[in-house]
Amino acid sequence: MSEFDVIVIGAGPAGSSAAIKLAQGGMNVLLVERGDPPGTKNVSGAVLWGDELSKVVPDWERSAPIERYVTRKEVAFLTEKSKIAISYSSQDLMERKSGKIIVRGKFDQWLARKAKDAGAMLVTGITIDKLVIDGGKVIGVMQDGDVITSDAVIVAEGANPRVLINSGLRPKLSDHDVALGIKETIKLPENVINERFNVDSKGGYASEFVLGFLDDGILSGGFLYTNRDTVSLGIVASLDRLRANGMTHSYDIMGKFEEHPFIKNLIKDGIPDEYAAHLVPEGGLASMPKLYGNGYLVTGDAAMFTFSNGMVLQGINYAITSGILAAETILENKGKISEETLSNYVNKLRNSYVLSDLYTFNGIQNVTWSDFTQKTMPKILDSVMMSMFDERGMPKKHLMQVLSAAVKSNGMKYTELISSGYRMMRKM
Amino acid sequence: MLNIVVMIKQVPDSSEVEIDPVKMTLNRTKARNVVNAADLNALEYALRIKDKVGANITVISMGPPMADAAIIECMARGADRGILITDRAFAGADTYPTGLTLAATIAKLGNVDIVFGGDETTDSSTGHVGPGVAEFLGIDQITYAKEVDYEDGYVIATRDLEDGDEIVKVHTPVLVTVLLNSNVPRHQSLRKKIDAIRKGVESWGINELGLKPEWVGLRGSPTIVRSMKAIKEPEHLHKTITLDKIDEVVADLVSKNIIKVGGK
Ligand SMILES: Cc1cc2nc3c(=O)[nH]c(=O)nc-3n(C[C@H](O)[C@@H](O)[C@H](O)COP(=O)(O)OP(=O)(O)OC[C@H]3O[C@@H](n4cnc5c(N)ncnc54)[C@H](O)[C@@H]3O)c2cc1C
Ligand SMILES: Cc1cc2nc3c(=O)[nH]c(=O)nc-3n(C[C@H](O)[C@H](O)[C@H](O)COP(=O)(O)OP(=O)(O)OC[C@H]3O[C@@H](n4cnc5c(N)ncnc54)[C@H](O)[C@@H]3O)c2cc1C
Repeated sequence: MSEFDVIVIGAGPAGSSAAIKLAQGGMNVLLVERGDPPGTKNVSGAVLWGDELSKVVPDWERSAPIERYVTRKEVAFLTEKSKIAISYSSQDLMERKSGKIIVRGKFDQWLARKAKDAGAMLVTGITIDKLVIDGGKVIGVMQDGDVITSDAVIVAEGANPRVLINSGLRPKLSDHDVALGIKETIKLPENVINERFNVDSKGGYASEFVLGFLDDGILSGGFLYTNRDTVSLGIVASLDRLRANGMTHSYDIMGKFEEHPFIKNLIKDGIPDEYAAHLVPEGGLASMPKLYGNGYLVTGDAAMFTFSNGMVLQGINYAITSGILAAETILENKGKISEETLSNYVNKLRNSYVLSDLYTFNGIQNVTWSDFTQKTMPKILDSVMMSMFDERGMPKKHLMQVLSAAVKSNGMKYTELISSGYRMMRKM
Repeated sequence: MLNIVVMIKQVPDSSEVEIDPVKMTLNRTKARNVVNAADLNALEYALRIKDKVGANITVISMGPPMADAAIIECMARGADRGILITDRAFAGADTYPTGLTLAATIAKLGNVDIVFGGDETTDSSTGHVGPGVAEFLGIDQITYAKEVDYEDGYVIATRDLEDGDEIVKVHTPVLVTVLLNSNVPRHQSLRKKIDAIRKGVESWGINELGLKPEWVGLRGSPTIVRSMKAIKEPEHLHKTITLDKIDEVVADLVSKNIIKVGGK
């Protein structure tokens, strides 16, 4: 007899959601988290999109520590001197509560508490070393030489899947599999945030940036989210390119982003509060480990379930949904856990947006992490804008002519632009 | 088997406590609660004695209900039993009733051979509690210990004093206060933490200890804090000194009585 029905590794959004669902189903669950309290090791921005959590915590928005709701969403290209942005504000965003801005430290602690309240045993401050595999079946976890047994294990360890790697269940990460995220939290008074970002005290601003001004070769996106009385500012940079440009460090990119004239003003007089780095899964299907086996399931970032198209970065919602589906799979197969029965997890993922999105957007990284998107596009857009607005007493030209001149001056052919642009539109 | 008690206090993580720049008060709300660091060093010495000769280790702490997490953590490192001394009546205690209450707890446990504590806490840092407990219990004490060993009924400890080390050998029962960073505390283990959670932390109040309300808490505290002042950091005058001026510097320090120039 196993000591627990299920052991869940990691109390991030995936692990805690799974543990809640399992405990609600009457299972004897152990939820183990390295951080103490949960959330201390987690770094994301973050905007939580969607409402999946209501499946396990009805009315969750009432008790969850939500900082603000997204009411202004921006996507912007930054060149050295300019910013070209699409800015979307809508009362519908508020009414539909589409995006919830949260601070992970508080949020993860709250969600893990919900798992404990539901009946899971929450153990913090402990790092699991690996899974224990006996005759091809996962029979529990190993920590500090001790084996703790369970009928099934849910791996929810996040983007640096050391348990899976140590257990021989996935290869080591390569630079294509993950990008490097850095986040800084900057304190600003609530009323200053409201004024500076043109939001009311419930509303919030969330923006993704393409950092087109970085040195050649370096590719990185940026983000800025307003919390209640702090802002989260960060970057997500390609490890491939960082490594290829050995002289550039991630904190240099962060420094340049902070110093950019349009960002500098937004965080003026802010007091830096926290600074942390974390990996972000970026490899899509190609980086995915095997999602199930005899006695175990893989969820959230550990399964590489994230979505990013340059306009949003989503992972928390995928983590929550995959956690719930993993729990469902185990609940439905209580007493008959096997590789065969657990394979139904993948069907559930395919029928949900989690795997559908990963298939639909397979290969999107080739577009979002390309010099065309991150370097050429911003420059072309900048040239176009400048020639439209810089009145020099010359006869005006049609937009197409302006565009074609901008394309040429950036050393590109028109046909290239069209094919790259088309590829981009198709992939996004 | 030896009976060892380790006294621990839950404190806000000092690296996370901020000073409110306007009010000049400590803002503890954001800081995580942790076991006072020196108390983990004290626990480690207790565990080493347990490893060596076998012992029953009881961790005790006086504090609010949420301090049970600190006790569980100590059990996850190897302590056998945990008692939280918690009661409304204990609120607002200064170091005198704190010592009294802890001593009453130890007396009630009975047959205790060694009592361990940190030398001081990171949040109040008085260093009163250990010696206070020893006095209330009427047992010997070893303070400022940086090395602790046990042999045949004796605790052998190295005390870190200003002018050197002192090695003492004291027969049990004895109370030992341990210096911060004097050893490397072992990690928590999952096995032990699960067992600790299942076992739970006992909770003792004023009735269990047979104490009177006027002896403990705020009422039992002789100290009255009249006011608190923030002390400004002194300004440092950073002068650049070149080697050819070294005689002037020495003369200056001698004239201010900061250093003495000794003869041959
Ligand atoms: C708001 C506030 C006001 C206070 N006002 C006063 C005051 O006016 N006068 C005063 O003297 N103190 C005061 N204190 C200190 C506090 O009440 C003490 O009782 C405290 O528990 C012990 O003092 P210390 O932290 O300096 O311990 P120290 O003597 O520095 O601690 C030494 C060791 O004793 C043990 N120990 C200490 N406290 C405990 C405990 N609670 N449970 C178990 N073991 C323990 C630990 O092993 C610790 O390492 C105040 C504290 C607070 C938070
Ligand atoms: C800078 C940055 C910004 C982001 N912004 C957003 C955003 O705005 N919106 C969004 O939806 N997503 C965002 N993401 C992605 C999002 O953070 C992740 O997709 C999400 O956290 C995945 O959840 P998870 O539960 O799978 O993993 P995690 O949140 O990483 O949780 C894993 C947990 O497991 C614990 N753990 C790991 N190993 C062990 C072990 N061996 N033993 C015990 N515990 C262990 C960790 O401490 C951690 O608490 C961002 C990511 C980064 C890095």
